[in-house]
Amino acid sequence: MSHRLLTAVCAIALGAGFAVPAFARAPAVALEGDVKLVRQVTENGRTSERLEEPNQVLPGDRLVFTTRYTNGGAEPATDFVVTNPLPGPVKLARVDSFEVSVDGGKTFGALAALKATGADGKPRAAELADVTHVRWRLASIAPGASGEVKYFAEVR
Amino acid sequence: MGTEYRLKGSLAFALAGAAFAAPALAGGVPAGVLIENTATATYTANASTQTVDSNTVTFRVDEVLDVATASQESGPVPATTTAVLRFKVTNTGNGPETFTLTANPAVTGNAFNATVTGLAIDVNANGAYDAGVDTALTNGAATPALAADGPLDVLVLVSIPASAPANATSRVELTAVATTGTGAPGTLFAGAGVSGGDAVVGASTASATAQATLTVDKAVVSLVKSATVADPFGGTRPVPSAIITYSIVANVAGTGTVAGLAIADAIPAGTSYQPGTLTLEGAALSDAADADAGQGGSTGVAVQLGDVAAGGTRTVTFKVRIN
Repeated sequence: MSHRLLTAVCAIALGAGFAVPAFARAPAVALEGDVKLVRQVTENGRTSERLEEPNQVLPGDRLVFTTRYTNGGAEPATDFVVTNPLPGPVKLARVDSFEVSVDGGKTFGALAALKATGADGKPRAAELADVTHVRWRLASIAPGASGEVKYFAEVR
Repeated sequence: MGTEYRLKGSLAFALAGAAFAAPALAGGVPAGVLIENTATATYTANASTQTVDSNTVTFRVDEVLDVATASQESGPVPATTTAVLRFKVTNTGNGPETFTLTANPAVTGNAFNATVTGLAIDVNANGAYDAGVDTALTNGAATPALAADGPLDVLVLVSIPASAPANATSRVELTAVATTGTGAPGTLFAGAGVSGGDAVVGASTASATAQATLTVDKAVVSLVKSATVADPFGGTRPVPSAIITYSIVANVAGTGTVAGLAIADAIPAGTSYQPGTLTLEGAALSDAADADAGQGGSTGVAVQLGDVAAGGTRTVTFKVRIN
């Protein structure tokens, strides 16, 4: 964890080109990504979902991508926005409490309110398969607080 | 405080997106593709905007073994001595795979069984076997690797046994089996997939069979000879000087056409051919070997009927006198 934090700090420092102040403002929030395979398991006639490591993933399989955030700093992190471009080989499996983009992250909104371009070149209602990005917005994360955001996707 | 979106991974997405802009593979994401996911957060802390990436989680898509086989024939294929049956084998999995092709002419319920004389890949896709152009395959051998979604036109060459009755039908089936393995859906072949990933049997069980039907297209000739006797006394007794009228009816049954049908009949011993009595379909034929279809003489008659289509009949008559 600390090593990764340091790496992130260096990246910011080099990228931004201001050295000392950047260290003073080391990113307080850390993100930890994870993915699990969502397996339907039927036991004794009851179907439940079980999360497995993605050791064996096939087209059509359902996945849950989780991003855990932790504010390790002393200050609140406000206007917290997590953006997750969907990997090309997956499509969003369901809408959730997040905004989506169907235009490569330029605009976000509720899926039902978005339009995509159909095969005939005309606008049509956006579908799950059109989603390119998902985005969560939180007003504030208190120091020491943590939580997670996730989206379900299906391998195309 | 402007919100900044750092879209790490957007390039990777664009590339992957381009790959999927083409019609999606029926078998899904190609085996071996790596799926990588990274989230990015921006927030304000200490009055400045900060950006942080998550770690990138990466996993690989494994290989699904699936295949579809279909007959390309819209109906029974007429065959007299040989036939070519067209099939299409499609790799409906998501990775390159070879398939064992087996043609079986002995399908339960067949009226007769054809003989499989060979298999071929219809390289020029013309539905016919072209030796030297199309790739011959041994029955039971494996195809070259088919890419995901890759179709293969397969020809099954059969011969029809002479004993097969006209109009009889017979089915020939072609089975394609993934060489990596088959089994119930979900059967795992660890490490046997693309890039060392696993291969997993899909819904098709990685084996698929299709049938095509042959129908025997052959004409069968039957000859029926009958005689009527007219004695010199107005009766029908076969006495000396009685005239026998022979009638030979050639009947062509089945399907197709018989070519060069000829009828020859010897004059029975103790009788004499009556010159000028040879007829075909009621029309007189000269006895001489000339332009018309028949000739008659003391040893016998011969009539060239030429090509006769199935369902046709030809009637030849001639008269002899009992000596």
